[in-house]
Parts: sequence; C-alpha cells; structure tokens
Amino acid sequence: MRLKNKSSAKTAEERKKRLLSLLEQQGLSIYDNLDKGKFPQFVIPSRSVSNIVYDKKIRQYILGSASAVRSSRNMSQLRSYTQLAWLAFFVNRLVREGKSSTLRDIYYSSQAFSIDFEDQPESDNIIVDLEAVLTSPREEFHIFPEERSSVFGDLTIEYTVPGYEGKRMNLSDHPDGYLIGPSLSSAELVDTSAELVIAIEKGGLFTRFVEEKVHKKFKAIIVDTAGQAPRSTRNLLRRLNTEMGLPVVILADGDVYGEHIAMVIKSGSANAAHLRELTVPDAKWLGVWATDIEKYKLPTIPMTESDIKRIYDLQKDPRYQEGNWKKQLEVFLKIKRKAELEAFSKYGLTNITDKYLPAKLEESKSF
Amino acid sequence: MSKEVFSQISPSEFFYRNRDLAGFSNPTRSLYTSVREFVENALDACDQKKILPDIHLSIKAVDAEKPDPKHYILTVKDNGPGIDPEHIPLAFGTVLYGSKFGLKQARGMFGLGATMAILYGQITTNKPVTVKSCSDGKTLDEFVMLLDIQKNKPVILKHTTKEGSKTGLSVSIVLEGDYSKAGLKVRDYVYQTSLITPYASITFEDPSGEKFHYPRIVKDMPRPPTVIKPHPHGIDVETIRRMITDTHYQIPTIDNKMIDKVKKELGLKKSLSPKEILEKAQKRWSDISKPVRTVISVMSFLNIDFEGLKKIRIDDIDIANKTITYWDFGESQSHAVELDPESPYYKQLASTIQGDTLITFLTKRFQRVGPTTAVKFCEFAKFKPDKRIGSMTNEELVKLADALQKFEEFLAPDPSCLAPLGEAPLSKGIMKFFNPEFAAVWQRNASAYSGFPFVVEMGIAYGGDIPPSGLKVYRFANRIPLLYDEGSDVVLKIVNETEWSRYKIKGDPPLVIVSHICSTRIPYKTVGKENVADRPELERELKNALQYLARKLAVHMSRKGADDMAKKRANLYSKYVPLIAQFATELAGKKKEPNYNQLIRMGSEIEEQV
Repeated sequence: MRLKNKSSAKTAEERKKRLLSLLEQQGLSIYDNLDKGKFPQFVIPSRSVSNIVYDKKIRQYILGSASAVRSSRNMSQLRSYTQLAWLAFFVNRLVREGKSSTLRDIYYSSQAFSIDFEDQPESDNIIVDLEAVLTSPREEFHIFPEERSSVFGDLTIEYTVPGYEGKRMNLSDHPDGYLIGPSLSSAELVDTSAELVIAIEKGGLFTRFVEEKVHKKFKAIIVDTAGQAPRSTRNLLRRLNTEMGLPVVILADGDVYGEHIAMVIKSGSANAAHLRELTVPDAKWLGVWATDIEKYKLPTIPMTESDIKRIYDLQKDPRYQEGNWKKQLEVFLKIKRKAELEAFSKYGLTNITDKYLPAKLEESKSF
Repeated sequence: MSKEVFSQISPSEFFYRNRDLAGFSNPTRSLYTSVREFVENALDACDQKKILPDIHLSIKAVDAEKPDPKHYILTVKDNGPGIDPEHIPLAFGTVLYGSKFGLKQARGMFGLGATMAILYGQITTNKPVTVKSCSDGKTLDEFVMLLDIQKNKPVILKHTTKEGSKTGLSVSIVLEGDYSKAGLKVRDYVYQTSLITPYASITFEDPSGEKFHYPRIVKDMPRPPTVIKPHPHGIDVETIRRMITDTHYQIPTIDNKMIDKVKKELGLKKSLSPKEILEKAQKRWSDISKPVRTVISVMSFLNIDFEGLKKIRIDDIDIANKTITYWDFGESQSHAVELDPESPYYKQLASTIQGDTLITFLTKRFQRVGPTTAVKFCEFAKFKPDKRIGSMTNEELVKLADALQKFEEFLAPDPSCLAPLGEAPLSKGIMKFFNPEFAAVWQRNASAYSGFPFVVEMGIAYGGDIPPSGLKVYRFANRIPLLYDEGSDVVLKIVNETEWSRYKIKGDPPLVIVSHICSTRIPYKTVGKENVADRPELERELKNALQYLARKLAVHMSRKGADDMAKKRANLYSKYVPLIAQFATELAGKKKEPNYNQLIRMGSEIEEQV
C-alpha cells in the first residue's frame, strides 16, 4: 500500500487556501485603491507568442517576464477590467461555496451582475486572464470544460466537496471507471496499491484494459485521456505522480497527434504556459512509435496533408529537437503512414495487452 | 446691307426648329425650363432695380382629369419694375429682343428663354400669352398676344388698361407639360433657388393646390453687377475685328442729311465760302463730331463748298500716298488730289481714317490696361505703340489677338461686374434651410479663366436637420440651381476627390455642400447649361474653398468627438466603478464599500491617453 507523500505536494485543501488567499489579496488591493482615489489595475503576464518560452529546467513551456497592465484608468480597458474583477469575485464565491460551473455557465452567470460578455469566447478569454493573474488552472476555480475523461484502478480518495466531506471511495469499484470531474479533482488522494499509471488515448481501449484486468496484471491505475488530455486529467496524472509517487506511461495512436498527446502530458502545452502543476515531466511515452509500426507489422493508413504539415510544425518545437521524440517524427515523415491503437486487433483482441504492453514496459526501463 | 439675308428664316422659326437646344425637348423638360426662364427673368429684373423680390409661381392643370402630358397654365408674378407698355409687344412677342447684351453677371444670357417658353406654349396649345405689367405704379396694362412665327412679329389680340397700385410683371402661358414627371425637379428648383436667393420671398402653388412658401431670410440685397469692358485675355480675333470696326473710321456718305448735320453742328444759317466755313469750324473744333471733322477736312483739301460737295463722291483717302480720290458726277470722271502733310487737317484726316493708335485702342477699349502696360505689351507683341489699328492687316490682327492672350502682365479681370451672394446671406440661408449643428461659408477672392472673372463662394453644413444619408451637393452658377447632369460637373469632381476621412467624416454623413460660381461667363460643358467644365483655374479655386471649409468642419468634428468622448467616459465610469467596488468589497471580506465617488469623477475628467 502506497501512501501519499505529504511533504512533497500540496493537498487539495492547501491549494484551496492558497487560491482564496490570492483572491483576497487582489480584493484588498482593489479596495484600497478605490478608497484612496487611485485607479486599480491587474498585472497579467503576457501570453503573446513572443513571451512563451521553453524552460528546459522544469521541462515545460512557461511565460517570459513580459506582462501587460489592465488598468481601470484606461477607458478602453475599463470594461474588461471590470469583467476580470467580477470573475475573481465569482470564483471566490464558487470556491467558498464548493460549487462548480462550466465555461458556458460563466458566460450566463455574468449577466446577473450586468457584466455583459459579448460572446463566450470573450468570457473564456477573461478566465484565461485570471488563470494567468493567479497562476492557477481554471479547474481550481471550479470552472470545468464540458469534456470529461475517466480513471479506474485501486485508488482511494476522500471527497472535499460539500455534503461529501470525509467520504472515501475506491476507484476500482465501478468497471466503467470514474469521471474526472470537479469532486474527483478536489478530492484528497489517500492510498493505492498500484505501482504504475497507464494513460491511454481511447475510451474503447480503456474498457478493454479493464476487462483484461490490466490493473491487476500490471498493478496499474488506468486513465482514459479521451484524446488530448483535459487539464483536470493532466492535473490528476501529476498528482498521482508527485503525491503518490507513481510512474506514468502513455499509450496513444501511432501518429503525430498521438506522439503530441504524450508530449503534452509530459511537458504541457503552449496554451497553458501561464500555468504550473499540469505536467508530468517523468512520464514515458510507450507508443505507438513510428518504428513500432514496422516492428509489430501493424496495418496502416496513409497520412493526410494535415498530418504531414503537423509533423513539420512540431519539428520546430524545441522539445522535438533530440532523442526518441525527434527520431519518431522523422520516421513518421519517412513512411508517411500511421497506425491506430486498434490496429493490434488484427493479431487478436488481447494482443495489445498480452504482447505489446509487456514488451513496451520492459523496453521503457531502458529510456 | 440687304434684307434678304434675314427674311429667309425668321428667328422664331429658327428657334422652333432648334427647340431641343433651348431645353424644350419634351413635355417634362419644357415645363421645367419654362418655370426656370420666367422665375429667373423675374429675379433678374428685381436685382437690377434693387427691389427685394417677391415671386409667385403657380402651375394649374387646364383639365385636372386628363392624364399627363396635358395642358397647364403657368403663371409667374413678380414685384419688379415692370415693362413700359410700348415695349411689351416687342419684348414678349419677338425673338432676339432683350436688354441683356452687356458683359456682366446675369442669370439668363440674352433674355431669350422667356420668348422660347411663350413660343413653346403657343406651338403646343395654340393659346396666347397674357402679360400684365405696371411700370409706373399707376396704370396696369394687360396684353393678350400671339407670336407670328413666320414674320417674327407680335399679334396683339387684346390690350386693356386699368388702374394699378404697384409695379410688377405677371406672365401667364398655357403649355403642354408633364407635371407628374417634372414635379420633383420643379420643387427642387424652387427650393434651391430660395436657398441661393435668401433675399427673395418665393411662393409656389402646385397643380394639387399645395403651397410651398419660402419666406425672405435676409433683407439686404447683394450689390448689383455692373457692365464692364472686356479683359484682354478673354478676347479672340473675331471680337477684335468687331471692336476695331466700330471705332474705325468709315468714309462718311456725303448726302443732304450729312450736309445738314455739318451745318447744324457749325451753327450755319446762310451759305458761306469754303474759307469762311473753315474758319467757323476751327473755332468750334473740339465740339464737333468726328464725321463732321472728316467732312470739313475733305472740304479743305478739295477747296469746295457744300454745293460742290453734293456733286462728288469720295472714293478713297489714301494716307500712305497722300491722295484723295473722288468721283465728279458732273464731269463723270475720277479725280485725285494731293494732300499737304503740313496742313493741320492732314493729321485729323489721318487719325480718323486709320483709327486710334494701338496704345489708345488698348487703354480705351479694355479693362486692366493703362498706358504703361500698353507700352509693355507693344514691346512684347513687337508692335509699334503708335501703330494705327485701322491699318492692320489680317495677319497682324491674328498676331495681336494671339499676343493679347499670351501677355502675362495684365492684371486679373476686374471682378466688380460680379455679384456673389456674400458670406452673411449665404450663411443665413444655410442656417435657415438646414438648421445644422455646424456651418461655415467662405467667399474666395476673385480669380479669372481666359479673361473671364469668376468668384467661388461655398458653404458647408453638418448635422442638425440634415438627414444622415450621405453627402449632398447643391450646385449654383450665377444664382441658378444646377439640377441635371451632376455626374460630370467640376464641383462634384472636387467633392468626390476629397478624402473625407481626413476631415473626420465617415460613412453616410449628414453633410451638405453649397457651391456657388459667379462669372461673366460660366464655362458650361454642354448647351443644356447644367454642368460646369473643369477649367484648371476654377478647379483650383473650388478645391481651396472646399479644403478650407473641410478643415473647419474637422475642427468641429474633433471638438464634438472630444465632447462625446467625455460623455462616454462619464457614463462608463458611473456604470463600472460601483460594480468594481461591489466585487472588491466581497473579495476583500469587507462589510462597507470603499468611497469610490472620487474615482468616478476622475475617470470622467482625465484626458484620453493615446
């Protein structure tokens, strides 16, 4: 039984406290300014392309030192300044009351306070602004996207959401897995017998893995990323890695998008450069590699124009400049063919769990 | 001169055959043109006598039930000076009778249009014209007339006289017209005429009985135009030839009438000898006329008396060869007599025969030419200053006309003959018509093209009652609205070339431009006289005027923009600051809201930071 490593990671409760304290500081600062007849302002780290840099030390994209000031003194910024202040106020309520909402909710909630967003993209942008101001992902604000992914395996959690405080749950009780939603994201991780986390790109394979008892055979927690992993899922993977000390491996389709799904889990995306604690720097990409396609004689389909263009794009990314990441891109570009995870079914439905997975896990010990 | 040249085709018939040129091509255009001609004549008549015009225009259908085109009664009544009863038949019953032949600014050119309208009415309806006139404030004469087109003569059907109370003229014709189509243009015409004639009161009653009344806005009349001499730059060879001919000496026909004239001027009662006649003439030389001087000079050289004069015919006076050639009726043979250059009469004869010297001709017959300029010009044109204009050959005349065009030291034409409306009346008219939030007017200094002086005055108006439906240009020339053919007009060209965004004007602005060109000759592009050609001098003046006014408008727009911005600021800060305070109070965990009133005030006041 692996217990949580309390010294190295923050608990859900600690993170909540930190957030509420940040919000209060912002509130006090605005309050003081108003009282003294000064124009309050937010300092927002710039998210422009020129300010996004790759940090080799922490192995993720981060924002540079440039920042923008959104001032209530500037008439053209007054509206968006007020929107941002409203969002901080609204998030404060959400977090204190333990309620969750979606991006769409925020757009509509604003109207009750005569804060009018022209459209949802505008309110989504203000949410990203607040993430940057507070360096916290929106999931901590209790704001969730519609997309959901799932987790299954021997992991005990303890809820912190209102009405469930202290209640514990084991995530191997339900074979379809558990939604990684607001309550799971805010739950404390208590203990686990697992020794490994397998993140898998597709829901179909996730179900196969559960049926084939991969969690038992490999002492694994299985996470369905449902394509590109949502932030709450990435955050859970990180917590499993840092709080529970579990290594994370990733299985994705054998194409350039699969490779990048693995990369984003490992080192984040440029879009989230203003955030931390969404990456698992030690995560390992098991496959499907370009070289695996030939090695395992997988049935393939030809790449499209956009697949190839995506390869060229990623070749410019600093993280693809060396090692296996670089090599696999080159091979993809050479063979111009791709293979999905389901391709293993040609050799039997359990071929992927019986043959491929063990072989790749063995191989992964050497990289 | 023989009379056959004119009797082959009468002017009336000529115009009848060419009525398209004069704007009478169809019932729609004809109705509109007739309105214009009568209204403009009425306004011109009032202008000349400095009478504040009171114009009544009415158009009535003869039979309202009939479909267009149909017969209409068009009546225009004014409070002008009226016309002497003896001139009325000729003025309204013949073509080419008019008083507007001088070089000055006037609405119509020769006063022919009214006769054309009368002619058109008679041709299409066979109804006479009715003219009522009172010129002395006591008697009112009414004529009912037809035009005899073949003979170019009025046929008076009726002439009555009764008591009148004030001066004025009323002309009424019946003509075929199409008001359903012409109505819009006629109403536009009356509206725009009132705008450019703010000192007039104009009433228009349309066929439906609806009245459009435009009251007088200003009580001051602009200075009337004066008649002036031509400017050298505006002259061609043919004009010079005509000017020379009418100063140039023609050998007087010596008949009984002439001899009586000589006797009368010299005050002769009885027969005297040639010597006595000459002595008498010497005493009064400066008082006697040129032809008489010439006759006296001839008598001195031929040494004959009046009886002798009657028996001869002077054939040639050749100054170069110093001889006079004459035909003696009695002897039936030709004689030549030598002229004595020492005789005091030689000089008189020479100057009369050969006309003025070039210097005298230029200074006397042209504006802007003084003796100094004339001498300079002669140097430039390589003519001797004392060259006699009567001795010039055809080639020399062409050379002279050419040089007059090219010589650049003549002062610009005298604009005193022009009568622009003036900035104040124009501005008042614009204010009254459009009630704009901003208006500016500017009258440029006089300028000239090809020897014709012109003045551009322009007004600009923005906002107020002007609908936001885009830029509207009102074009006027010599106080006449130009309504047709605006596409190719020089004013439109200038307006369209202007980059309005530079003057803070965007989209479909509530913007009006009033352009008035005054000139002794407006350079119209077509005979329709509705669009002005793009002469570079005119284009430059228009452009300068428009740019000046547009800059003023831009200043207004910035000021207005700043005001709007301040209001917007105030609204925004009053709306948002209380919200920010509400959010901050809860975020900070406070009970009481901060005092943010100061910030709202500051927000409304601070300058926009760019």
